[in-house]
Parts: sequence; C-alpha cells; structure tokens
Amino acid sequence: MILKSIKIKNFRSYYGEKEFTFAKGLTLIIGDNGDGKTTFFEALEWLFDTVTDNKSEYNISEKRKSELNVGESDEVNVSLVFDHEGEMELEKKFRFEKTDSNAVLTRDYKFTGYDSTCSERVSRDGKQLLEACFDSVIRKYCMFKGESELNVFDNNTALKTLVDTFSNIRQFEDYVTLTEKFEKDSDAVVTKELRNDKKQAQKVKELEEKRTRNAIDIQNVRQDMRNQEQAISDYSTSIEKLEQNQEACEAYQDIKKRIEKKRADQSRFKAMSTLDYNAQLLDEYWILRSFPNVLMEFQKKISALSREKRKQDKAETERRAIEKGKKELADSLVGGATPLPWYVPDEGTMQEMIDEEICKVCGRPASKGSEAYNFMVNKLHEFLLQTQKKAEKSEEEKPYFSNNFIDELNRLSNQLGGWSQKEIVKLATDISDRLELIQNRKRDLDKATKDLQEAEDEKARLLIQTQGLSEDMLDKGFKDFKGMSERKNRAEIRLTELKHDMEDLEKIKSQIDSEFDAIEPSNGTVKLYQRVHSTLKYIMGSFINAKERNIDEFLTMLEKETNTYFEKLNENDFRGEVRIIKRADGSARIQLYSSNGTLISNPGGAQRTTMYMSVLFAISNITTLKREQDYPLIFDAPTSSFGEFKEEVFYNIIDNIDKQCIIVTKDLLEIDKDTKEKKLNQEKLNQLTCLVYQIYKAPNYSPLDLSTIQTQIIRIK
Amino acid sequence: MAAERLYDSWAGRNAQWEIKYEDIIKTLCDYGKGESSLREARGKLFGAGYELYIMAFFIGLYFNQRKPLLADNTKRKGFGQPIQYWGNIESRMGRKAYPKIREYIFAALIARTDIDFIALEKGDVTLRKVVDMLIQTMEEYANCGFKFIKDKIEDDPNYFYKETAFLEVFLSFEANNQEELDEEPESLD
Repeated sequence: MILKSIKIKNFRSYYGEKEFTFAKGLTLIIGDNGDGKTTFFEALEWLFDTVTDNKSEYNISEKRKSELNVGESDEVNVSLVFDHEGEMELEKKFRFEKTDSNAVLTRDYKFTGYDSTCSERVSRDGKQLLEACFDSVIRKYCMFKGESELNVFDNNTALKTLVDTFSNIRQFEDYVTLTEKFEKDSDAVVTKELRNDKKQAQKVKELEEKRTRNAIDIQNVRQDMRNQEQAISDYSTSIEKLEQNQEACEAYQDIKKRIEKKRADQSRFKAMSTLDYNAQLLDEYWILRSFPNVLMEFQKKISALSREKRKQDKAETERRAIEKGKKELADSLVGGATPLPWYVPDEGTMQEMIDEEICKVCGRPASKGSEAYNFMVNKLHEFLLQTQKKAEKSEEEKPYFSNNFIDELNRLSNQLGGWSQKEIVKLATDISDRLELIQNRKRDLDKATKDLQEAEDEKARLLIQTQGLSEDMLDKGFKDFKGMSERKNRAEIRLTELKHDMEDLEKIKSQIDSEFDAIEPSNGTVKLYQRVHSTLKYIMGSFINAKERNIDEFLTMLEKETNTYFEKLNENDFRGEVRIIKRADGSARIQLYSSNGTLISNPGGAQRTTMYMSVLFAISNITTLKREQDYPLIFDAPTSSFGEFKEEVFYNIIDNIDKQCIIVTKDLLEIDKDTKEKKLNQEKLNQLTCLVYQIYKAPNYSPLDLSTIQTQIIRIK
Repeated sequence: MAAERLYDSWAGRNAQWEIKYEDIIKTLCDYGKGESSLREARGKLFGAGYELYIMAFFIGLYFNQRKPLLADNTKRKGFGQPIQYWGNIESRMGRKAYPKIREYIFAALIARTDIDFIALEKGDVTLRKVVDMLIQTMEEYANCGFKFIKDKIEDDPNYFYKETAFLEVFLSFEANNQEELDEEPESLD
C-alpha cells in the first residue's frame, strides 16, 4: 500500500479543499504549533476509523461554519488515493447544515471505497476496503502520534500480535494443537486397552494412579510457576519504570531533603531574627540604654544632699553642745563649792521649810526675811524653773531634721548602684550585640529563603521533566524500589525451585510413561496401538520445538533488521545495540545494550526514539516481505527530543531509506533574525531530496476567534 | 511621725497627659479597650496606655526637654492605674513584668527636679509639695515625648509601625559616657 494523495475538505482548520500528494519515499509536512500538523494526522485517523461513524460537529471547519447562512450546507470530506495492487480510493464524508446562528446539523455520513484494479472503477464499502488493504493490526504499526507512542512493545501481548500478524508461526499453533490431540487420543486408546488386559490390569491401575497424581502435581507446579513468572514480570516492569526514573527519584529525594532542611532553617532563623523590639524596650529595660548618665546625675545629687545633711546636722549638734556648756558655766558657785542639785530637796519639802521658817537641812530657824529664808525661797523658785526648763528642754532636743527622705533616697541610690548599675551600663553593648546577631540571622534567613526557592524551582523543573510522574510517585518510587527488588528476587528463587520440582516431576512422568511403554500387552493389536502412540508423541514434540524455534528466528530477524536501521539513524553517534528480549511470560521488550553487554537502562530521548523507529522500520520491512506489500509509516512530531544536529542527520537518513514515510513536524523551521518570524531552513531543505510541504495559518487571523483560522499549504519542493 | 516614703507618695499618684494625645495612645496601645491580651490581634504596639507614656517620658528625658501641660484641667487626663502598678501586670504572651522601671523613672525625677531637699528634711516644705513637683517634671518630660511621637505620626502615619521605630529613637540617644563610667563613683556615705 502506497499513499498517493489526500484531499482534506472543511476538516477543522483545513478550510475549503486542500490536497497533498505523497512521494514514494519521504514526504515532510512542516508547520509550527497550531498550524494544522496534528489536524492533518487526525484527518487520517478519522478516515481510518472503522469503529465509529463519527460525524462530530467538532471536525467541521469553524471558518466554513461561520460563513454559512441558516439553511445552507456544505460537507466535510477526507479522501485518500493509494496503490494497493492497483489504484484505490477511500472517501469519508458527511454534510453539515446550519440550522441556527449557533447550531449545525450533521448528516449523510458516508464511508466509501473505490477499487480501480479492474478496468472500471468499482464502488465498495469503505470499511471493507480499508480492512482489506490496510488492516487495523498493520495500522497499529504504521501511525504514530508523538514520541511516546513509538514503543510498540510496551504491552505484554505486543509480541504475540506481531508474531501472529507478520510471521508464519501462527500455522504452527494449529499443528501443535492437532498433534497434541492425536497424542492424547492414542494414549487414551492404549491405556483403555491395557486396562482391559487382565494380566496387566493391576499394574496399569497403579501406573494410572501415579500418572494422575503426577499430572496434578505438574499442573499445580505449572500454575505456581506461571504465578511466579507473572510476579517477576510485574516486578520487572515496575522496577524498569522505576529504574528509568531512578535518577529523577534520587534527584527528587535530594531536593526533598534540601527543601526540608531549608524549611527548618528558615523557621529557625525566622524565630531567631524575630523580636518584639517595643516589648524589648520595656521588658528587658532596653529603654535604659541612655540612662547611665541620668543615674549618675541622681547619685551625685543624692550624695551631695546626704553630705549637706550630715554637715548641717553636725553643725547643729556642735551649736547645741556649746549652748549647754555656757549654761553650766553660768550655774557654778562662788568659791568653787558644788551646790546641791536643784531637785534636792524636793518641791514639797522646800515649801514645808518655807512655811515653817526652819531649814530642815541644817536644823536652824530661818525666819521670814532672813538670808536663810530667802535662800530657801530662791531654791524653790529654781526648782520650779528647772521643772519648767526640763519640759522646754525636751522640746529643744527634738532632732534638727525631722524627716529622713534623704536617707531613703540614699538607700535607693545604693540600690541602683553597684551590680544594677553595671547591668544598665552593659545594655548598650548587649543591645548592639543582639542587633548584630539578629542581622546575621536575617542574612541567614534570606539565604535560606533563597535556597528554599531554588530548591522548589528545581523540584518544579524536575516534575516538568518527568512528565507523567507525580510528586507522590517520585517519592514513593524511591521507597518502593528496594522492596520491589527483594520481592522480585524472592519470586525468582521460588521459580528456580519450582523449575527443579518440575524437572523432577517431568522425570517421574517420563518414568511413568516408560513403565507404561514397558508393559507388554498380551494382545498384538494393543502393541500396535502402543507404537502408533509413541510415533504421534514424537511428532507432537517436533512441532512444539519447531514453533519455539520459529519465534526465536523471527525475533532474531527482527533484531537484525532493527539494528540495520538503528545504525543508519545513528550515524556518527554512539548507538549501542538493540536487543529484542523474549521473556518468560511470552512478551518481549526492546532494550539497548552497549557492545560490552551492559544494559543501557535509561537511553536518552533521541536514542530511544531512533531505537523504536528502527523497530518500526524493521517491522515494516518484514511486513513487506511477508505480505509482499509496502506500507507507509506516518509520524506526527516524532523527533521532539532531538537536538538540531541529530534532526538534520535524521532527516537525511530517512530521506534515503527506501520506504514511504510521511512525517509531520515543526523541525527545519527557524527564526529569521531580521523579521523575527519563523521560516524554513532552506539550507537544510536543499540537502533533502524528498517532497516537502509547508503548512501555516492564513494571515490576519484573530488570536481569540477560531473561525478565523485556516490552514494554508504550499508545496516547497 | 509615720515613716512615710517619698517613693511611695510619688508612686501612689496618677500621672497626667494632655487629652490631645489620647488618639495616639488608643492607636498604639490597647488603651481604653479592656483586656490587653488582644494586642497582637489588634496590631497594637503596646499593651496598657502607660507603656506609651513610659516611651514618651524617656524620649523627653533623653532629649532633656520639658513641656508644661495645659493648665486647663479639662484638657488633661490620667490613666486608671497609679504609677505603682506600671510594668507589674503583663498577661500578654511572651511579655514579662518590668517593675524596676518605676525606680529608674523616680531616680530621674529626683535628679532632674529642683527641690530643696534640706527644707523637706527639716519639714519646712511639705511632702505633698515635693511630690507635686516630681509629678510635674514627669508630666512635662512625657508631654515633650508625646509631642515628638505625634509629630512623627503626622509626617508619616505608619512611622511607628516599622518594628524598630521606637528602638531607633532610643538608639539615637547617646548611650553613656564611658570615661565618666570608669571613674570611681563618689563615695555615698
């Protein structure tokens, strides 16, 4: 099947009718994002859709729809002309009618094929024609959207489908089934006959019991083996996936740890650099930073006051002492004799002596007017005076300072001095130290915040790079890896044990079979049956072996073809070797190995893409070989992971591969330095011999209005 | 005569301030709103109103500028708590009491008020008169401080919402004269 041309009419951005013709080799359709590349691919997909009768309004050109008046109609039509032992055509279309300013009705869906192999063009059912020329299995290996779909071996049934479709092994399946049936039937006949042989009946019965037990054992072990194989396969798939992302997982763990640490740092530094300065001024007495001078003023003042007070107190005391001395001097007697104290005799005695005019001290009379009488009167007078003075004196001896406030202040001054004072003096240094510390912590905080942001950015970048893997999976994947490997190991050990068990059981089985064979039947016919059965068993074995060998040969061939393309696609680059590994569960995996036998578990994007493409080319080649028909390969943007150089090499090689290939891509576009607009890289295009179309949005479109978008195509070469 | 202490007489008083500063006190403190535990939630810088008064007082003190209050009693106001409770009760999270601040304020007032203490000692001047003078000094310093704060706010209403605003004011005053400090303090006996 070779595609010759396609017409796309009113299909989404393909307004009106657009036609592409295809080369036998490479056809490139180049356009930028939104220019209609994927729409081209999807137009083909729509045409090849044999499952649904899709006449969705979604596929109608918005521009065409907007132009229609109510009641007017037009059609969406995709038709493909191709060669398949003669020219064929497939046409899929439906009509759409505007029923309202916003609504359209779609109808008259038709999928028609035209066969021109005979002299006249014959109309056929489109679905049938398509399945006859380009069946869905082959389509699966021919059309690829994006890079991620290229791995055709990503599911367990892929190999079987491939083998069934592209090799003759399928026929072997029938032979194997047939010979197995023969063997079983003949065995049943022999056993039945032997059972009836009276001589051997007992022996046959024993052997049959053994055989039944053995068969059950074998069945159990086989089931167990299958389970273990399945488990190993599942674990391997998971581990493989994890391995592919191991680097990402490790990087994630690393980033995660960093983020955790930086978060902790951040909150620690935040706590250390946050301070309620206003509270600090009061609670920690920072407000007293400039107080030492005031305090000293206070202390000096109190000290002076205290001195002054003592000075005045002392002066007063001295004055009083002098007063007292003067008085004492004035009171002394003539001749130096010491007079009796003023209080001897007392007031009553004195009054009595005066009244009686007798001095009772010396016993002599002291008549009124006498000297002695006057003396006594004076003495009494003095007594009364003294008594009065005494009362006065107590008042006079009252302290000079009636209050003690200065002493109170002095105590306060002492209290605020000494250690307390040192604390206040130290405040200035303490505050400045503390502020410096906070500044440093703030710097640390800024750095931690910056680092945290960087780590978060890095994480975001990582998550973008590992698209399809959630953060949770990255996190879990790392933890799962170990457990998964362990479980896989356990399953492998168990499988080995089971294999040994199976070998033993097989031995027992063949022993039982030998014993059966060794039974000498009494009847000659039964002997003949026995021989027929042995022959059929032998034939069955041969077919089983042949089937296995054929699969191996098919894979070897596929691998060889693949490597031929892989070598071409990776000219002048490291490539390694592609191996298609058949696994215990019957599935296959494409893997890349270095020439020294090391598995390259996580090849780069371009390497992976070329690897899968090589397999596709190889499959396509084998298809051609087996079906004696060529099939096109159609790719939508398969090279997004390629660098510019790789891209150039890739197209040069594809250009020279003898295979119809249609690639829709935005490669080979570059930005014009002067106009800043995208244009084709003519230099690179000139190196290619293939057919090249450029598709682009017709100018003057509104970025917001879909109905202004239409794809234009130009054939460049 | 009962041994009445000067400090106690002073601490039993209520310092007054001009009513025109009430808005500032209400803005920056939990003043007049009841319990002070909601300071953080209200975005207040201080708890009780006296905290801002202490700020204002020390600002006036360090500037060594006094500003007499308006004589009109109707234009003045006092806090609910006499000085003796200032700095005592601090129920808010992360804060602690700072009762010693009162003694420092008192010492500053003694140092900066021109009082004839000898006359006081002799009983020639009444205690009440002396305490009046101390309170006056206190009010005048604080009044000056309040004016300073109000001026700043008038220039920039958010001035004091910068976390270090008050600290910076206090850092702008000279800390202390190291030479003087190193001097042997005068004998106090």
